[in-house]
Amino acid sequence: MNGILIAMIGALLLPIYEAWQDEDIWQKMLAFASIATKTSIMILVVSVLRDDWMIGVVGVLILSVGNAALMLLAHILRRLNEG
Amino acid sequence: MTDEIYVFAIMLLLPLSAGMLVAQTNPYHALIIRGILGAIAALVYALFGAADVALTEALVGTMLSITLYAVAVRSSMSLRLGVLEPEAMPLSAELTQALRQALQPAHLRLELLPYGDPTALQQALGEKEIHALCLPIPVSDRTDKRNYRLQTRTPRLQQLLNTESLQAIAHLDETLQHSESQP
Repeated sequence: MNGILIAMIGALLLPIYEAWQDEDIWQKMLAFASIATKTSIMILVVSVLRDDWMIGVVGVLILSVGNAALMLLAHILRRLNEG
Repeated sequence: MTDEIYVFAIMLLLPLSAGMLVAQTNPYHALIIRGILGAIAALVYALFGAADVALTEALVGTMLSITLYAVAVRSSMSLRLGVLEPEAMPLSAELTQALRQALQPAHLRLELLPYGDPTALQQALGEKEIHALCLPIPVSDRTDKRNYRLQTRTPRLQQLLNTESLQAIAHLDETLQHSESQP
């Protein structure tokens, strides 16, 4: 099962590279969305591996809250470009 | 511990993203990287069994702090330019474009504040309501192609606005601080 997590870390490096490299702010937001979702899915995988329900609940909460933060930030950035 | 070799790999992501955050110059880009750092930090905390710390990092560290900082950066990092009412002085698209280009390297936003007459504009500049003002040069006083004159409050702003494309359209006056210090 460790192989799955190692593969996920490898997949996590791709959006991190994208966020570092790309100067366009919306590309960075996409990379952020990708990383926020991937990390919370990784928390869920770890919780299943360890059979730990406490980490599992936190993983679900972070998965939903991460998207809320993204929406808030995207709205502010959109209004910034308009005004 | 050899079973959990992935823990070390994930831990290495934390200093990596922190280094990326420190290297950013644009404040908005830095805010997004801060979100990435928060997501990775929450993963590391959850991995070590600190579920409460991970939840707090995601809720406060990422969501609340990013939103508050985005609002703060948006309202503070702007150049307030005083202009006359659009009926009295229509600003050419060329001028606003050149202004935005000049402010781009400092990551500043352009905010236009309309005022009734030139006296009110000068007063607003003196009372620090606006950072710079833009007035049309009357047709009779024009010596070259430049139609506008810009006056800034601080020498640093004048230095920032001293670009070629802006010099071609507008005449940059002495800053207010300079003219005050002269007898």
